[in-house]
Amino acid sequence: MSTHPTDATAELPELPLPRTRTTAPDQQGSERQGSDQQGSDRHGPEQQGQDQRDAEQRGAEPRSAGQKGGGRDRYFDLLRAVALFRVVFYHLMGWAWLPVVFPSMGVMFALAGNLMARSLARRPAPGVVRGRLRRLLPPLWLLGAVGVTGMLAAGWSPDEEGHPGWWWLHLAYWILPLSDPPYGESLPGVHGLISDGWAADMGVPLWYIRAYLWFVLLSPLLLRALRRLPWPTILAPVALSAALEFGALSVPGWRLEAQLSDFGAFGACWLLGMAHQEGVLRRLPRYVVPSLAPAVAGIGLWYTLAHDLKEGHDLDDMPFAQSLWSFAAVLLLLHISPSWSEWPAPLRRWDRLITLLNSRAVTIYLWHNVCIGIVEALWDRLWGVSWLEANAAWVLTSPWPQLPAVWLLTAACVLCFGWVEDLAARRRPRLWPDGRAAAHRA
Amino acid sequence: MMAMLMLRGYVHSEILADYRIRPEAAADKVPQEVLDGGPVVDTRNGQQTSLDVPDHRIVLTFDDGPDPKWTPEVLDVLKKHHAHAVFFITGTMASRYPDLVRRMVDEGHEIGLHTFNHPDLSYQSKKRIDWELTQNQLALAGAAGIRTSLFRPPYSSSTDALDNASWPVTRFVGTRGYLTVFTTADSEDWRRPGVEEIIRNSTPQGGKGAIVLMHDSGGDRHQTVRALDTYLPELQRQGYTFENLTGALAAPSAHTPVTGLDLWKGKAWVFLVEASDDITAVLVVGLAVIGVLVFARFGLMLLLSAIHTRRTRRKGFVWGPDAPVTEPASVLVPAYNEAKCIESTVRSLMKSEHPIEIVVIDDGSSDGTARIVEDLHLPGVRVVRQLNAGKPAALNRGIANARHDLIVMMDGDTVFEPSTVGELVQPFADPKVGAVAGNAKVGNKDTLIGAWQHIEYVMGFNLDRRMYDVLRCMPTIPGAVGAFRRSALDRVGGMSDDTLAEDTDITMAIHRDGWHVVYAEKARAWTEAPESVQQLWSQRYRWCYGTMQAIWKHRRALVESGPSGRFGRVGLPLVSLFMVVAPLLAPLIDLFLVYGLLFGPTGKTIAAWFGVLAVQAGCAAYAFVLDRERLTPLISLPLQQLLYRQLMYIVLLQSWITALTGGRLRWQKLRRKGQVAAPPGAVATADGGAA
Repeated sequence: MSTHPTDATAELPELPLPRTRTTAPDQQGSERQGSDQQGSDRHGPEQQGQDQRDAEQRGAEPRSAGQKGGGRDRYFDLLRAVALFRVVFYHLMGWAWLPVVFPSMGVMFALAGNLMARSLARRPAPGVVRGRLRRLLPPLWLLGAVGVTGMLAAGWSPDEEGHPGWWWLHLAYWILPLSDPPYGESLPGVHGLISDGWAADMGVPLWYIRAYLWFVLLSPLLLRALRRLPWPTILAPVALSAALEFGALSVPGWRLEAQLSDFGAFGACWLLGMAHQEGVLRRLPRYVVPSLAPAVAGIGLWYTLAHDLKEGHDLDDMPFAQSLWSFAAVLLLLHISPSWSEWPAPLRRWDRLITLLNSRAVTIYLWHNVCIGIVEALWDRLWGVSWLEANAAWVLTSPWPQLPAVWLLTAACVLCFGWVEDLAARRRPRLWPDGRAAAHRA
Repeated sequence: MMAMLMLRGYVHSEILADYRIRPEAAADKVPQEVLDGGPVVDTRNGQQTSLDVPDHRIVLTFDDGPDPKWTPEVLDVLKKHHAHAVFFITGTMASRYPDLVRRMVDEGHEIGLHTFNHPDLSYQSKKRIDWELTQNQLALAGAAGIRTSLFRPPYSSSTDALDNASWPVTRFVGTRGYLTVFTTADSEDWRRPGVEEIIRNSTPQGGKGAIVLMHDSGGDRHQTVRALDTYLPELQRQGYTFENLTGALAAPSAHTPVTGLDLWKGKAWVFLVEASDDITAVLVVGLAVIGVLVFARFGLMLLLSAIHTRRTRRKGFVWGPDAPVTEPASVLVPAYNEAKCIESTVRSLMKSEHPIEIVVIDDGSSDGTARIVEDLHLPGVRVVRQLNAGKPAALNRGIANARHDLIVMMDGDTVFEPSTVGELVQPFADPKVGAVAGNAKVGNKDTLIGAWQHIEYVMGFNLDRRMYDVLRCMPTIPGAVGAFRRSALDRVGGMSDDTLAEDTDITMAIHRDGWHVVYAEKARAWTEAPESVQQLWSQRYRWCYGTMQAIWKHRRALVESGPSGRFGRVGLPLVSLFMVVAPLLAPLIDLFLVYGLLFGPTGKTIAAWFGVLAVQAGCAAYAFVLDRERLTPLISLPLQQLLYRQLMYIVLLQSWITALTGGRLRWQKLRRKGQVAAPPGAVATADGGAA
């Protein structure tokens, strides 16, 4: 029973399932203990009976050091939560140096790559890929259902781009985001409630879903390459990024270019995540990573500073610098990786928050930007309060007071739309999966 | 010290400097009467009036000074022609050259503020403008003991050039009680257009009064000085007088004396700035010294280690007439709580190709070290127990128990190769050789801290020790692998516990007794290096302090005659210089690195740092090649320069403090993990893997 405790985790990349944690004592309800076998049914179509499961156990042999004994790696949970928080914080504040302080996207891709490699090590690739897509797409569909309806209501129409046929075709990217889903560029908002450009707020972050989808689709291939030629494979995306940056490679069409650019910027992170799982990093002498990563980071930082880092022009707009900086940061974070099967004491009090952020990562990521747009529009109404303008103008101009409002609204989105993540994972939908409720029920 | 450097960078406009100049803007918000009015704008108490200079009066104004070269010349010319002027000084320059400001005031000139470090104020906040003025007044008070109420904004010219960006600054400065002084005639001397052109630019038409703009700073001003020498008498002949501003306007002086706290603050400021300049100069000299030392040392090391290598690797090289040395040796293994390592150590000795007896001296271990060895039941291994008395005592007991005349000493945490003992005793073929240093190597070099120590050891043994060998002043035979002639040990009285570095102490004593001490590169021993910063710290602290103690103990060698004097006059100074004094100056490198990065020239600083790194990498690579080591650990060299070296000199600093305050260091024992179980390539005998 406890020999395959990580199955569900492997299934659910960014979305921890508290009830499958077998190492966290507070989560060990008797029901869960006994229900692991039944639980396997929830793992979806790619679960193919006991034989398959045994095969998984055999395949699970080459694990990274931290996975001994199974369970969630709380260090990774922490990284994911910090990354997510940083993304929301950055989208509100816009500070150019935030992505430097913590390169969230690279970290997220690395963690996802790590889990992907873990699943692929145990189950056939088609099943893993299918399962991953099934987890990813329904939350996007829900966003699309709400968002596209709203856009149509606001006057978005097939004539928008001049080619109704293309418009209809591109709309399919909301179903399967092989490229960026379209959105109305300059749709009016609702005055005082939703600011103009809300559709862009909604549509812009979807590049992550698109990039993620491609990484998932390519993962079986990437893993094979990684096993054959580990370091050339890991470094290939950085080389791609350099080729794009210095004009050695140019591609027609922004859709392909965006995809290649993102692959170049974050592919190395995804591959590093896989490499960590495969034990590639452990084969290096311990001094190698701390010696080389700062040098790579230094070059990335130098390149960033030399290319006019400022608000509105940061790492996200410099894919080559991003690829170096994220690569170095992820390399160091994975090198440090202490593999916590339990929280260290100082972090224990954050357990529920981190669990929640992890359980609803996709929902929070998809909806937070819209929430920021709405909060900003609401905040603008405060200018009508003349007392505030006269006596506490900082409340109106500073983004800080908006931060709690943004999280409040995002929390509302978690309540309203989060359940779809559970449906996608074939779990009983929950309102507020911070781990505590599950423990109580158990 | 860093604060002083910061201060210097600050008054040298290397920080907070803002070189932006705002392009012209619209002027529709500037009152017309100001635009058309006189050059002195008074916006105090909410008024907006401007004043003109009366006819036949010229107010010369000099901006951006004082300058150490040109301001005295300008002052001389003015004095020669009995003319007075107004100097708009910047705070940075006034802080650096307070004497010149004092001279200006003493000679009857007037001082105006030109901000602290000359930014375009239209870009700055009110807070910053206030700060610029206050700081400028502070420098003025410190230099000349006065305040002034005249002000000229940087990058200003005549009043009709005021615009919507600069007018608010003028108004704001007025509310702070200043008269803003613009110009009517710009000599444009900063362009160095030629003496005649400067005079033409500065001469008003038809006997009108004027405020003339000149500069006594910011570049070569000899044209200005020469122009003045012609211009002043010529216009005086035309009936002009040259007065300072308030004189020309027949107003009370703009100067008010400063007293009390403000005066002292100003004086303190000026004093600090001067001190920072002096200290910086001293530091630069220090940096030069350390630079020369570092490079001289590298050069010497490369040269001498090349010589040593050629000498000892020559075909048919023999150490001396008695070669090869085949007589058996006694290996002493002092052990204190070495349970984890001792078995590997002893088993590695059992494989020795040279005939040996092994004496393990258990120095009162509480972890059963002695028992472990006894339970091995190995032939030729003896265990001697004693109550805990320290390593020197254990070694002396070992010497007393040893049967042979060649004595090899090693640590309980060290592993020998089968050929190590044989190689180590070969130099005794030369009867003059009293002791031999082996080649200690780091077994656990997988971690960053291990790799750093590995680099350090390889360089220390393959460059430093070869150099010392050639110069015949080897300071230390490492406790991990060394060999002694019993007669040499007997003559100097054996090991002593006078110092914390008994190995350095005994080596120096043997030198003074006239013996040669040589380095046997092929006698490799694998030792376990500390793995935590804390342990490394205490190890190095002990070495460092112990070395200082040993140098102090043997200081009389300096004045003695014979071999002792030779060692005292060549070896001791060299060792002191390279091991104790030079590292003390090493922090300067980092200090100037930070300073250079912050205040520029950033590019050159980085290039210089990489240059030094390259030299270091070259030396390290050479040492690695000599030792036939893989070069990959060298990738940790850049980070070593940024983290490890600093740790080392902090340790040294602490040792100095201990030495000067007379503290006594306790023996600090490393916590061993038993990681180095066998030399690389050999099969580990204990359960720990190969290093």
